[in-house]
Amino acid sequence: MKPAASVLLLTTLTGFGYGLLAWLALFALLGLLPASRWFMPVGVVVALGFAASGLIASMLHLGRPERAWRAFSQWRSSWLSREGVASLASFPPALGFAALWWGMGPAPVTVIVGLVAGALGLVTVYCTAMIYASLKPIRQWNNKHTAPNYMLLALFSGAMLMALLLACWTGQAGLAGLLVLLAGLLAAAAKLAYWRFIDTQKPLATLASATGLTRYGEVRPLDAPHFTENYVLREMGYQIARKHAARLRRITIATAFLLPSLLALLAGLGLVPALLIILATLLTAMGLFIERWLFFAEATHVATLYYGR
Amino acid sequence: MTSLPTPDPGAKKLGLVIDLDTCVGCHACAVNCKEWNTGGHAAPLPDYDPYGKEPDGVWFNRIHSYEAGCGEASRTVNFPRSCLHCENPQCVTVCPTGASYKRVEDGIVLVDMDKCIGCKLCSWACPYGAREFDELAGVMKKCTLCIDRIYNETLPAEEREPACVATCPSRARHFGDFNDPESKVSKLVAQRGGVELMPELGYKPVNRYLPPRQAQIQTAPRERAAEGGNKLLRLLDKVLSR
Ligand code: SF4
Ligand code: SF4
Ligand code: SF4
Repeated sequence: MKPAASVLLLTTLTGFGYGLLAWLALFALLGLLPASRWFMPVGVVVALGFAASGLIASMLHLGRPERAWRAFSQWRSSWLSREGVASLASFPPALGFAALWWGMGPAPVTVIVGLVAGALGLVTVYCTAMIYASLKPIRQWNNKHTAPNYMLLALFSGAMLMALLLACWTGQAGLAGLLVLLAGLLAAAAKLAYWRFIDTQKPLATLASATGLTRYGEVRPLDAPHFTENYVLREMGYQIARKHAARLRRITIATAFLLPSLLALLAGLGLVPALLIILATLLTAMGLFIERWLFFAEATHVATLYYGR
Repeated sequence: MTSLPTPDPGAKKLGLVIDLDTCVGCHACAVNCKEWNTGGHAAPLPDYDPYGKEPDGVWFNRIHSYEAGCGEASRTVNFPRSCLHCENPQCVTVCPTGASYKRVEDGIVLVDMDKCIGCKLCSWACPYGAREFDELAGVMKKCTLCIDRIYNETLPAEEREPACVATCPSRARHFGDFNDPESKVSKLVAQRGGVELMPELGYKPVNRYLPPRQAQIQTAPRERAAEGGNKLLRLLDKVLSR
């Protein structure tokens, strides 16, 4: 599948934003946030900023962005529609969370509204994941790894932002550093399991079953219907060399997870926390962008069988 | 509404039968499809760079050629590919806007181009590569089963069939109601063992493909070039093989 910048941005940025929102709510519940009137609201603005820029990026890739409002209507059947509804629904409680905190601090009502916002954010991430996980013609997405991967990556990148905010605000990463370490290792393990899984998966169909010619055994393409790429090939015929994929996977594991986790650990131990966490966040952002690029580039669509791909 | 309609057992189930035995791969159906539909329900079907080095555009019907089997039993199969108007089409349920829908009365799968936001998700959900995006209008387009011909009362009754069916010079495409066991398409499928494409994906396509018939005429072994013996025959062979 073609890795289009808009969807890469959508899925990574909403992961950062909604991951952070979830941690803010949890930290508020556990009373772990700095006793400042401003920290939490600033955190919420950052979280919503990330989420909103992801959503706007995805809207810009639509053929008719001015009709985007129609996408809220089919939540009964469409995960894309559910994603839209959930993300829209997350904004009022998130803003309420920030306002209540500013007005009355960590009162029970603040925490409850915060938890609702955090949950809706995670539901949004889940809906995003299910858009991909529900597509039957794409085996690398339509499996039990996709949704947990998205959730873990969102929680990891959210923890990263949480550590960043804390390190910049208080000069210490503290608990959030440890969180990054844990979530990073967990996310790396999940990603490795995913790659292992897709490497051993069998193709969904064969050219023989796609053409109804199974009786003949093998079927080989002879003449293509057209000599240049058409929409189907441009959108779904993307192929990445195994060699490049293997290298990019290693780069992903190192830049998205291992190095940032290590830096977060050092920061947690008190070594120039702000600087190290800033570095770790940049690495994670880069690594996750590559990871998402691979998620698309390595995905093969069964329709390309007709073209012998 | 992109939820699938509750199937009505009495409703028509319109679709095509494509005969892989007689299709000669002439692309006439693809051309007539383009011709009709660029002025029909889904009009226009744009072309990008039509006279340039990399012509490209929206087509609802694409003709592949394959080689099936090995050795003596192998053969060339021309393979037209268009929307199969599936009974369980994920291209419909993934649509966030309600633009992609399946008609309850005849099972035709259509796009409402006034509602489509051009998210392309439906094309990802189609295992058969049947949907093509109109880059100029920013909306998805697909085979309409020539809805504007089959119900078109301004056309003479015998022309109320899809453009691809009407134009095929070898009568390799047939149109009809699969829910009627007496229809031509149902009978063809029964007689010739019509098959579903990629049944393992579970989309339950309505269109069926008739596999090529096994050769029924036994041919005598081919004449071999004269070897040894008669000099005249060898000379003749040499001259004729030039
Ligand atoms: S062939 Fe593709 S576009 Fe047509 S109904 Fe089936 S899934 Fe949908
Ligand atoms: S491209 Fe249009 S028809 Fe297809 S899923 Fe998106 S809104 Fe629906
Ligand atoms: S039924 Fe009509 S729209 Fe569909 S492939 Fe045939 S000519 Fe094209």
